[in-house]
Amino acid sequence: MADVVVIGAGLAGLVAAIRLARAGRKVTLLTKGLGGLQLSQGTVDVLGYAPERVDSPIAAAASLPATHPYRVLGPDAVSAGVAYAQELLGDRLVGAATHNVLLPTAVGALRPTCLVPPSMTAGVVTGGIKYVLVGFRQLKDFYPKLCAANLERQTAPNGDPIIARAVMLDLPAVADMADSSALAYARALDDPSYRAKLASALKPQLREGEVVGLPAILGHRDAGAHRHLEQLLEHAVFEVPLPPPGVPGIRINEALTALAKEAGVRIVAGAKVVGFESAGGKIISVGQATAGRIRQYAADAFVYAPGGFESGALAMDSYGTVTESTFGLPLHGLGPDLVTAEDPGDQALFRVGVGVDSGMRVVDTAGHAPYSNLYAAGGILAGALRWTEKSGEGIALASAVVAADSILKGA
Amino acid sequence: MRSLDVDVVVIGGGSTGVGVVRDVAMRGYKAVLVDRVDLAQGTSGRFHGLLHSGGRYVVSDPNSARECAEENVIITRIQPTAVETTGGLFVTGPDDDADFGDKFLEGAAANGVPATEIRIAEALAREPRLNPRIKRAVSVQDGSVDGWQLVWTAAQSAKEYGAEILTYHKVTSIERDGDTVSAVVCHDAKTGEDVRIGCHFVLNCAGAWAGEIAGMAGCPDVQVVPGRGIMIAMNHRLVNSVVNRLIYPSDGDIIVPVHTVCIIGTTDVKAPDPDHLPIPHDEVQQMFDAGEVLVPGFRQSRALHVWAGARPLVKDSRVGAGDTRHMSRGMSVLDHSERDGLKGLLTISGGKLTTYRLMAEHIVNAMETQLGTPHPCRTAEEACPTGSADATYVPTNYHVTHRLHDREEDRMVDQILCECELLSRRMFTDKLAEQPTGSLDDLRRQLRLGMGPCQGGFCTVRATGVAHEVGTVDIDRATGLLRLFLKHRWLGLWPILYGDQVRQTALDNWIFSGTLDVEHLPEGAEVV
Repeated sequence: MADVVVIGAGLAGLVAAIRLARAGRKVTLLTKGLGGLQLSQGTVDVLGYAPERVDSPIAAAASLPATHPYRVLGPDAVSAGVAYAQELLGDRLVGAATHNVLLPTAVGALRPTCLVPPSMTAGVVTGGIKYVLVGFRQLKDFYPKLCAANLERQTAPNGDPIIARAVMLDLPAVADMADSSALAYARALDDPSYRAKLASALKPQLREGEVVGLPAILGHRDAGAHRHLEQLLEHAVFEVPLPPPGVPGIRINEALTALAKEAGVRIVAGAKVVGFESAGGKIISVGQATAGRIRQYAADAFVYAPGGFESGALAMDSYGTVTESTFGLPLHGLGPDLVTAEDPGDQALFRVGVGVDSGMRVVDTAGHAPYSNLYAAGGILAGALRWTEKSGEGIALASAVVAADSILKGA
Repeated sequence: MRSLDVDVVVIGGGSTGVGVVRDVAMRGYKAVLVDRVDLAQGTSGRFHGLLHSGGRYVVSDPNSARECAEENVIITRIQPTAVETTGGLFVTGPDDDADFGDKFLEGAAANGVPATEIRIAEALAREPRLNPRIKRAVSVQDGSVDGWQLVWTAAQSAKEYGAEILTYHKVTSIERDGDTVSAVVCHDAKTGEDVRIGCHFVLNCAGAWAGEIAGMAGCPDVQVVPGRGIMIAMNHRLVNSVVNRLIYPSDGDIIVPVHTVCIIGTTDVKAPDPDHLPIPHDEVQQMFDAGEVLVPGFRQSRALHVWAGARPLVKDSRVGAGDTRHMSRGMSVLDHSERDGLKGLLTISGGKLTTYRLMAEHIVNAMETQLGTPHPCRTAEEACPTGSADATYVPTNYHVTHRLHDREEDRMVDQILCECELLSRRMFTDKLAEQPTGSLDDLRRQLRLGMGPCQGGFCTVRATGVAHEVGTVDIDRATGLLRLFLKHRWLGLWPILYGDQVRQTALDNWIFSGTLDVEHLPEGAEVV
């Protein structure tokens, strides 16, 4: 029997599991899939819009509605979550929770984020910056001309115009393949000889003082690929995140998964948690639908970090009934007109989720905990529009750290 | 103002209009068709895809039943690439009146509609998802028809006979010289230019908008009542032949397999304005409930998209003004010389997509009667160009794997822009070169871009990026195209959002908002 069962292998689940295991708890992590990190852009977003663009996320979090997870968590928890990510990932992340930076997206928007991988820092928009965006004819998810043209329609924070132009390379990731994924390019770029090939095709086209923006493909496993390419090109280079699967997110996922295993977390992947047993107001065990039978995993405490609507942990049926699919937990944020004709990203439905107290224990709308040992973290929490706010990782980190600490304190 | 001169102007680019312009051109007239938007963007692109066997009307409207049975055979012959010869079933649901089947079989026999009662076991063998509690099953020759393909092939035929097709040309006025029509003035929405088309005759085929057009010619009170119907596309072919309820025509009583999806239809409610067709929650629920009767578990399938169309129903004093389902579906030609003293203008309305060719024949005959220059109609004899390399194309069931086969062939030399619909970059750039002013929706109708399960989640940015990269659109327009396409996809999604499509929407939000921050791009151009 484990001390703690964590459900979900996204950022929240992995971080909670690591923190608990490093504190000496015996942790089992159950997951249906591979977690949402690899679908992400690989940055740590804390708060980018509230709803105006945010420069200082910790300060701006105080202005959010009282139902927002950041208000439940409080500013210290948010800082602690970001600090813990930096502690775990070290030089894989650059930045501070007090300060946002703006990075170009693949369509050329300027997106606020907080901690970024070192392979992206050169792209941070500053006065007088000159970008050259580089695409590959064989990579269909990045159009450098579109990105450059949109960047040129904007200005740097100090008001300077942004200079940007595009270069398109005809350089397949795999010989004779016209259609390669970002991951195929990232694997090719793990090989120093492919990096040399890329550099020899690109270097003659670069101009003095240009910062080189490449799609986020600069190595899957080789953390030195980015630096090596900068040396070869003799230019600063940055990665532009692409739609999923996102290579920077995959790198962080793999790093955290390795840390979890090092810390002794037992990961049981590939099957969904479909049921549970409870007694005396406590969860006794959860059942995972492994091949042939449902296997029960018992523990003293449970951290529920399965993601939100994107994972199916929250679901709406054809009658419009919204449910939490594993425990049937009470939901917060329900009401009429959950879905409307307005902007698909800004729907009340996506604010629906599980409510928690300040220790991340699951509570109903009256504040009562249905199970005294059930904690929630990450995308399942009610009250946030993560994609619009650019707050997904910050909420996941802060709630995971608080949930883990509540269990460690024996709350 | 640009000007041109023709014999005949056809107003309306739906099935009726293209059928008419084809017929007029084949009879030797110089003709032009104008539509305020794209071909088949109104009712002809917003129906359930049924090519009627006639079965649906054998009891309620025998005349329509007979016409449908005849035209079904003709359309299948002259436009084979638009038709799937799926066959169809009429089935009595567990709580339906089984005796209606006798009236149905009698009506079918009397009106030349082929229909054979089959054993329940045979019906279930043909359609394994069908409700096993059905009480009777009748086999008919229903088919499914791609409204866009039907309209384009007819339009192509018309062009080969010299007709001109002007889309995005909105009629702004109709000029008259004394008691005769003399010109139609249009505004070209893509270029902003006005166009005056001098003519001897105007054929008003504007469907639900025909009253508005007649009004421009000074002919008031043409009463075309828009009958609003909603349709929902489900992500799979839950049935492989058309499945109808064997009851008096009602709401939600038909499921039609079309391409990779199947479509349940439909409702019929009088609409005050054909340009603003709501999709009420209770009608969506009604469709799902009706789907459950025919195919148990229907609600557990994934709903992809919903839309509403406006039938152009002719007002008939015999039925109540609110009961559009039982207004005449028969076609009627209004002769404005008799009605309003204006020569050179005819209005057609009513009818249905299956009988579009016959409607065209009627109105062109009426025009020739007025002109006194009769020619034979040959539209039933001559096939339309198929647009297919195979000139001997025979309609069959849709092979859902045909694009997969094509992509297997070109996978080393081309990219797949839309994985759901297996659309290649080359297919997209070729169509874009033909229609450089096309919106992504214009291209979607021809390529199925963004019509699959992810509803544009992955392909929208690619399509925008390619259009901008090849230089067809500038950055303002590219941003406008991207935003408009996403907006339009959502309009057909939100009323039916549930189940896996909620997950998909969340993923799409992560992409467009979370990773790309599309909502904070600088403003784009307004796109038409």
